[in-house]
Amino acid sequence: MVNMVIGLFKKNRKLLKLIPCLLILSLLVIGCAGPTFQGWSGFTEHDGILYFGGINGRLFAVDIAARSQNATFPSQNEWVFTIPSPGAPGTICGPACAPASSQTSIYATPLVIGDIICVSTYSGNTGKLVAINRLAPGYSEGVPQRSKGEWTYPSGVNSIGAIVGSPVAVDNTLFVGSSDNKLYAIDAVYGEKKWEFNTGGKIWTSPVFDGGVVYISNYEKKLFAVSSTDGSQIWSTELPASIASSPAVSADTIFVGTFDNHLYAIDRTTGKERWNFKGDNWFWSTPLVKDDTVYAGCLDDKVYAINSSTGKEEWQFATNGPIVSTPVLTNNLLTVASEIGDIYIIDAGNGNLVRSVHLGYPAMAPLLADGDVVYVHTGNFCVYSINIQTGEKAWEFCYSNIE
Amino acid sequence: MTAIWNTIILEPVLNSLIALTNVLGGSFGLSIIVLTVVVRLILFPLTVRQTQSTKAMQTLQPKIQELQKKYAKNQQKLQQEMMKLYKEAGINPLGCLWPMLIQLPIWIALYQSIMQALGATPESLLNLSQHLYSWAAVGHAIPLNEQFLWLHLSKPDPNLILAILVGGTMWVQQKMVTPPATDPRQRSMTNLTTTMMPLMFGLFTLSFPSGLALYWVVSNVIGIVIQYFVSGGWGYLRAPSAPKPAAAPAQAPAQTQKVIPPQKAPPVQPSKMLQQATEESKTIKKASEEKKRGLFGR
Repeated sequence: MVNMVIGLFKKNRKLLKLIPCLLILSLLVIGCAGPTFQGWSGFTEHDGILYFGGINGRLFAVDIAARSQNATFPSQNEWVFTIPSPGAPGTICGPACAPASSQTSIYATPLVIGDIICVSTYSGNTGKLVAINRLAPGYSEGVPQRSKGEWTYPSGVNSIGAIVGSPVAVDNTLFVGSSDNKLYAIDAVYGEKKWEFNTGGKIWTSPVFDGGVVYISNYEKKLFAVSSTDGSQIWSTELPASIASSPAVSADTIFVGTFDNHLYAIDRTTGKERWNFKGDNWFWSTPLVKDDTVYAGCLDDKVYAINSSTGKEEWQFATNGPIVSTPVLTNNLLTVASEIGDIYIIDAGNGNLVRSVHLGYPAMAPLLADGDVVYVHTGNFCVYSINIQTGEKAWEFCYSNIE
Repeated sequence: MTAIWNTIILEPVLNSLIALTNVLGGSFGLSIIVLTVVVRLILFPLTVRQTQSTKAMQTLQPKIQELQKKYAKNQQKLQQEMMKLYKEAGINPLGCLWPMLIQLPIWIALYQSIMQALGATPESLLNLSQHLYSWAAVGHAIPLNEQFLWLHLSKPDPNLILAILVGGTMWVQQKMVTPPATDPRQRSMTNLTTTMMPLMFGLFTLSFPSGLALYWVVSNVIGIVIQYFVSGGWGYLRAPSAPKPAAAPAQAPAQTQKVIPPQKAPPVQPSKMLQQATEESKTIKKASEEKKRGLFGR
């Protein structure tokens, strides 16, 4: 057989010439495949229902009681809604649309406003805000049902830049940042734009609202304070590097992490820097502030507790992987998830490990705490409910096989 | 294995590319161009050696073909005679292969770096964080600005401009090094490499990030420049695609004409032709050595 092949090559030297060409082409195709995205949505809990965006663009409503009894999905009050790709025939823009051009994912945490649940989408280059009726979503009808209060922004086939950050809502107004550099204020009832504010740089973070002011950061190193009523700029500040994390506001200080491995404390009224703290990688996850301490997960595998007034480190805890998800704090217990899927329950006072839970699947979505239970959304298309007092998994819900 | 690759090859290239972006005022497009030029300059001795080995091999083609004809039924003898011929001419038949193999990992690292550095999706941006050095120049440059001229470097060029540039420069480069052929089968093969490859890469450009296509264009242009100066002209680009059959009075001269440009290939008797080919390859090798000494001061 080998001799046959050698003989073939000897007789057909041109085949030999083709081999390097094919090799290079294969390497190109394998090594240069386009970037992929799946999404990592967090949770919103309302009336015993857990809402979250599934990987690959589906919105789930999961009844906590039904899941703890391991009931068949969907039980009463449970549903799954597929958010179509832009241009796909179906719910977003109706049957007149062209075939789907790209995949849709959800990075944002859904938001409940009355009977409406709102989620923002990421489709590579484009994004939308989608609001559906959480009690009876219009998935069976195929298009947003105005009569049910459902809408999309922009409407029809139109879209804005891809949305990574989560929307926030204040008095029926939604604020959301987009990759097209703009912060949008959207009427939550009608889905119409109230105003927009151009930050001049891509926005992949969530805005935060406090005292009539919306704070938003962009990838051009800037942090903005914008009036929530008319979108006018109150102040802006430029940091030495682009801002990686969503801002967190506490009292008179804003905390943000940057791509030069620093966590900055910014004066809320003036935009001036108060202190900075250096880690060994990016502070990507949104910092958590409680009393006088900032808890910041870092991609250097550590979680830091920093004094919010002085910027001095109180303690640090090393995990076994980068920390992407936003930690949660309940009853003085800080719960942190590492990207490679270990959950650490840490004493918030001294940074000592209380217990850990090994899941073994990528955990990048923000955690949600509800009493002694923490919900974790992992990259294996599953949601875990973990009792932080015992470290046991109360239940798990895997949705990869759900149609 | 992946960790070794990342540490030794990918991360140095990736971080250099990002730091260079910071130095060049945040222009990632300019950084791709500069790094491609720098890498090609570092690899210049290898490229020159490859070009010269290829050219020297081409001058021996008439003799190889004669040997192939002579020992058509005895492959073992053919191999022996060919090795003897290479030895006499002072050519290592793998001489043109090694430089290519050494360059390949660097090209792949450049491809990967361009793809990763842009961090086009949240997942790829997070993945990038695990490959960065703690250089201030790197931290201050991230995330990179993907806008360059009319291009969004993480997205394909919506116009055909980049696809035409990639295909066109690749075609010129292929054409410069590919000798014309008279044998119909060989000619179709030649056409395949000189036409299909540029066409395929042109089509790739329509779906690949334009940062990568920019790299291809710059790399091709540098390849053309090196080829031009090392080979002393446009090579086979200006030669007719194939000699006319009427210009071949006998079998052996016709074979001579098919592998070297017509103006350099007067019809000669086989024995004289063999001698001439060997001499020519030796002359090329000698000239290459002298040129190399001149170029690198040693």
